[in-house]
Amino acid sequence: MNFKKECHSWTCFHDSVRCTQIVNFRISEFLITGGQEVIVTTPLPDAATLDSFEREMDALRDETLAKVGQRDANYIRNVVRFQRIADVSGRVLMIAGFYHWSLWIVGTLLLGLAKILDNMEIGHNVMHGQYDWMNDPHINSRDFEWDNVCDGQSWRRTHNYEHHTYTNIIGKDRDFGYDLLRLSDDTRWRKRYRHQFWMYVMLSVFFQWGVAYHELIGERVFFGRKKEKSELPISRAQLAKDFFSKINKSTFRDYLFYPLIGGLVAGIPVFFAVLAGHIIANLIRNLWTSSIIFCGHFTEDVHTFSEADCENESRGQWYYRQLLGSSNLQGNRWFHILTGHLSCQIEHHMFPDIPAFRYVEMSERVRDVCQRHGIHYNTGSFFKQYTTVVQRIIKYSKPTPAELKTA
Amino acid sequence: MDRRFKRVETQLHPIVVSVPSEMSTFLETATISQRLKRSVDSIVTRIATSRRWINLSLTQHQSLLAYCEPMIQWLYPQWTTVGHRARVIANRSETADVFSLVLKPSRRWPSFSAGQYVEISMERDGVRQSRIFSISSSPEHYLQTGKIELTIRVQEDGRMTPWMRQSLGPGMLVNLSDAAGEFVRTDQTTPLLFIAGGSGITPFRSILGQLARLHSQQDILLLAYQRDRTHSLFQQELIRYQEQMPNLKVHYLFSDEVGMISEQHLQAYCPDIRKRQLMICGPTPMIQRARDLAEGLGVASEQIRYEFFGAVPMDLAAQSSADSFVRFDRSDRIAETYADDPLTLLEVAEQSGLNPVSGCRSGVCHQCRCTKKSGVVVNLLTGQESDTGQEDIQLCISVARNDVVLDL
Repeated sequence: MNFKKECHSWTCFHDSVRCTQIVNFRISEFLITGGQEVIVTTPLPDAATLDSFEREMDALRDETLAKVGQRDANYIRNVVRFQRIADVSGRVLMIAGFYHWSLWIVGTLLLGLAKILDNMEIGHNVMHGQYDWMNDPHINSRDFEWDNVCDGQSWRRTHNYEHHTYTNIIGKDRDFGYDLLRLSDDTRWRKRYRHQFWMYVMLSVFFQWGVAYHELIGERVFFGRKKEKSELPISRAQLAKDFFSKINKSTFRDYLFYPLIGGLVAGIPVFFAVLAGHIIANLIRNLWTSSIIFCGHFTEDVHTFSEADCENESRGQWYYRQLLGSSNLQGNRWFHILTGHLSCQIEHHMFPDIPAFRYVEMSERVRDVCQRHGIHYNTGSFFKQYTTVVQRIIKYSKPTPAELKTA
Repeated sequence: MDRRFKRVETQLHPIVVSVPSEMSTFLETATISQRLKRSVDSIVTRIATSRRWINLSLTQHQSLLAYCEPMIQWLYPQWTTVGHRARVIANRSETADVFSLVLKPSRRWPSFSAGQYVEISMERDGVRQSRIFSISSSPEHYLQTGKIELTIRVQEDGRMTPWMRQSLGPGMLVNLSDAAGEFVRTDQTTPLLFIAGGSGITPFRSILGQLARLHSQQDILLLAYQRDRTHSLFQQELIRYQEQMPNLKVHYLFSDEVGMISEQHLQAYCPDIRKRQLMICGPTPMIQRARDLAEGLGVASEQIRYEFFGAVPMDLAAQSSADSFVRFDRSDRIAETYADDPLTLLEVAEQSGLNPVSGCRSGVCHQCRCTKKSGVVVNLLTGQESDTGQEDIQLCISVARNDVVLDL
C-alpha cells in the first residue's frame, strides 16, 4: 500500500513513500479512492489492549464519581468566594489608586486573577456540568454566566459539544486552529498562513473576543455565504443578538461603569487609570488563558483525526482519541487551579464532567495505566510544552514541499 | 425630531404642551446642550428601568444577592436566594417510623391554606435535595406561634427521610417553597368524608385543627386507616377535636384488625356517602381502591378529590419496570415508553414532537439538562437509579424506570 508518512499527523494524502514501519492501521475502505489517495486513520492498539484500557478508565471514572460529594461542593464554593472577593476588591483598589499608585497595581493584578479564576476554574468547569450534581440554583451548567465577552450559551454549544465530541477531528473541531491557524498538514497551506505567528499573537491578546466570535464565524453570520447545513438550535438573528448583548454588558461593566465611578470619586485621571487597569486585567486573562489552552491541544505530539475515526467508535476508542488529542502540564497546586485544571487536559477530555480538582489525583492513575498499555502520555513542564506550541505554529506557517510546488 | 423634542419637553416642564414653530426652529439650531440633556435623560431612564440588565452586567447574576450567595453561605450554610429560610425548632418522634419537624419560616413566607404542601430543601453531602410534604399543622397555629409542622414517614431505603430524622436538629436552617396544592376545603356547608391512609392523615390534621379552633359546625366524617395501634398517628388529638366540633366524627381503623378499606366499611361508617364530598389522601393503591369503591357506591367522580402524599415509595417505584408514561408538564403532552425497547427521554421527547435543546447525545455536553419533577430514571452512563423527587437530569442518557414528569 502506498502512502506518505507524516508522523505528527496521521492523516496523509498523496501516495509516494512505501511505509512498512507502521502496522495496525485501521483503514476505512471507502477512503481509498482510485488507488491513489489513501487516508490513514490513527493507528489503534490491538483490541485486547483497548478493552483493558477501557475497563481501567471506566473503573477510574466510577471510583472517582463515588467519592464526589461534600468536599467538592466546599471546594468550588471556596474558589467562588475567593474569586468574588478578588473581583470586587480588585476593582475597588484600582479606584483607590488615586491614594497611592501601588494600590492600582495590586487592584489590576487582583482583577486579572479574579477573571482567570472565573473563566478557568469556575466558569469553564461549572459550564461543563461538573457540579450539576449539587443541584445548586446558581452553580450549574444551565444558568452559569462568566466574566467574559463570550455568551455562555454560545460557548456551551461550541465548546461542550463540538470541541469535546469531535476533539481534534480536522474539519469538525474548529477549536483546532480556530479557523485562523494552520497547525497540521491536514489543513491546506495558503499564503495567509505565512504570517500566522503574528496572527497567533493577536489572537492571544484579544482571546476573549475570539472566543465570543467563534460560533458566529462558523455560522458565517456577518461574512461569507450562509452554511447549507447548520445545527444551530436558535435563529441566526438571535445568535447575533446574544453576541452583542453579552458584549454590551461586559464592556459596560469594565470600560464604563467602574471607570466612571473612579472618575466621579477622584477626577478624570482616575477614570483613565481605572479604564487602563481593566484593559490590563483583561489582557492578563487573555494571554494566560490562550497560552494554557494552546498547550492543551497544539503541543508537538498531539494527534489529529479524520471524521472516519469517530464513526462507530467504542468507548475505549473514544478514551484513546481524547488521550492522544490532548497534552498535560506539570506544576504545583496553585498552577493547576489557575489553569482551571486544564493542566490536566488529558483527564479533562476523558472525564469532562468530573469535578476538575480531582484530575490531579486521577492523572497518576491514568499515566500508570498508559505506561502499562504502552500508550504515550503527553506531559511536560509549561515552558517545555509552550515551546513546542510556538514551534508548531511556526513550523506549519510554511508549506510542505509538495504544496510549495503547486502554490 | 420636533415631536420627540416636545415629548422630552413635556416631561421636563409639564406646563409646556406645545412649542411655537418659530421657537422650535430656534431650538433646533441650538440643541447641543439639549441633545446632551436628552441622551443623558434617555440613559437615566434606561438605567432606572433595566436593573436586571445592570445586575447581569455587573455580576453575571440576575440579582446582587445571587452573586453574594456563596459569601452569605459562609455564615449560614443552608442560605439560598431561592425560596424562604426556615429554622428547625424541634424534631419530634410521633411513632416508630414517623416524625414531625417543627419549623419557623422567615417572616416573608406567605401563609398557607389548610391541606396544602410545601417543598423543603436542604443540602446533604454537597447535594441540594428537595422533598414535598403536606403541612400537618393549621394556619391558625402558624398565625399564633409563627411555626408550622411537617409530619414525615421515614422511608427505610430512602435517601433523605432517614437522614432528615437523624440530622435535622433545633437551630438548623432549611429552605421552604411557597405553599401549594389544591387539596383544600372548598366550601363550608357541604358534608365531607375524609379518607386517610397512613401518614396521609397530615393534611386532614391541618384542616381539622383549623376547623376545631373555629368551632365549625360542618358535617365531617374522618376514616383514618392506620397499620396498627402502635403506628397510629394523631389519634388522641383528632378524637379530641370532636368535643370542639359537634358534627365531626372520627374513626380510626387498623389494617391488622379490619383489613384494607372495603365497601362494608364505607357502608357501615358512612351510609350517606352519596351526598358527601370525598377527600382522599394516602398511598397510591389505597387512593385507587377507595375511589373505585366510592364510585361503585354511586358517588360521582366530581365529588372525589385526592392527593398522593409525597413521592412514590422507593420499593413501589423499583418494582414497576413495566411500560411507563412520560408526562411533559409545560407542553402538557404524554408519551409512553416500553420496557422491552427503552428509549432515552430525549428520544421520547423528540418523538412526541418536542424539540428540547440537545447536543452530543452521549452525556458529555450537558446541554440537554432538564428538570425532572418526579419519577425514577436510570442514568445509562453510570447505571444508577435516580431519586424519586425533583432534580435535574440529562435527557440524552436517562431512561424512565417508572412514570416520569418532566418540566418540558
